[in-house]
Amino acid sequence: MQQFVISPSSGIPIYKQLYSQIERMVLSGYFSVDQRLPSVRQVANDLDVNPMTVSKAYGLLEERGYLTRLRGKGMVVTARDNEVLQQEKLTMLDEMIKELLAQAKHMGISGNKVAQLINDNIANEQDETVGKE
Amino acid sequence: MTCIVNVKGLTKSYKNQPVLKELNLQIEQGDVVGLLGKNGAGKSTLLKSLLNISDIDSGEISIFGEQYNQLSSKSKARIGYVPQENDEISWLSVKDLINFRKQFYAVWSDEKVTELIGRWEIDLTKKIAELSPGQVQRVLIILALAPMPELLIFDEPAASLDPAGRRDFLKEILALVSDENITVIFSTHITSDLERIANKVAVLDKGQICYFNDLDITKENVVQLTVHCQEEQHIAIPHLLRGKTFSKGQHGIVSQLDQAWLAQMQEQAIEVTVTPMGLEDIFLELTA
Repeated sequence: MQQFVISPSSGIPIYKQLYSQIERMVLSGYFSVDQRLPSVRQVANDLDVNPMTVSKAYGLLEERGYLTRLRGKGMVVTARDNEVLQQEKLTMLDEMIKELLAQAKHMGISGNKVAQLINDNIANEQDETVGKE
Repeated sequence: MTCIVNVKGLTKSYKNQPVLKELNLQIEQGDVVGLLGKNGAGKSTLLKSLLNISDIDSGEISIFGEQYNQLSSKSKARIGYVPQENDEISWLSVKDLINFRKQFYAVWSDEKVTELIGRWEIDLTKKIAELSPGQVQRVLIILALAPMPELLIFDEPAASLDPAGRRDFLKEILALVSDENITVIFSTHITSDLERIANKVAVLDKGQICYFNDLDITKENVVQLTVHCQEEQHIAIPHLLRGKTFSKGQHGIVSQLDQAWLAQMQEQAIEVTVTPMGLEDIFLELTA
């Protein structure tokens, strides 16, 4: 089964594409704690990429604490404090917001305006939830 | 790291027309090197020179630490080569050609041959001359892989293969390079193939290897910059591939992103957008 999607001709190196996909999958709970990831060989074969590339992504995820290498078992998702996990999620969102603000700036839209848009969206979402009840 | 291929000062001309000029290249064990170059850049000449198929004017080449034109037969057997053009005996049947080639090698995997013949649906009874270019290319690949080589040299191996055939060929190469002792050099025009399987990229231009680096590092380093400054002003950018300065809203490609320069721009409230680039665009820029 092909779990990951890559685009080889993108300017983002394939190992980085894999890294961020797996990072998100772990943070979103798609991969649960202790769940085993497909082997390097398996992923390389599914995606038709060099196994070294997959190893590089896994190695980096291990280094950053997302995965743990178990002897004879391969890579499993690391069990971590909720606090740490929460922090990782916030860091990821923070990066996305930075990107959003940079985009807004190019369009000549102020940070305050973006904040207002976000608040409006939150308000809308709350309205909808209330409406459903 | 063991150096498998070492080329120093390789020079070669055809009828006073220089093709390779003082070319240097070092390839280490386990590397999968994609060789890019425009038509006529000399990719085939370079690969043939490594194998002593094409004479060189001057320079030194060593393969497995031995001088390229005095390779021991043991070392020769460790090399697999797929040429761009078929130079096999065309009146032999596939089966006879395989048996003929087998005699020259001490190591020969019948298992691999049978597996690939079956998977690639090649009719053993057909003469080479009767096969389509894609089928001939597959036979040449099988002949190169059967002796279980440690150094593989492919000259546009996928040129006559259809997309499915190409993908299957890539799979085969990827399965081989899971063994980290195997070194591969392949020339290609299909940059997406290179992006999938290579860990290093070499660009041949104007007779020299004008660029040689890790593929991931290349994608991280070679980026497109756009400067968004308020007024018209010329800004000097380090490592710019073409030109020296930048004015408002212009694009430019750098061979390396200078972080100190980027910080400096930020201090001056000059906005810079960094856009990553695919290998095809990088190649076009490097050889422009």
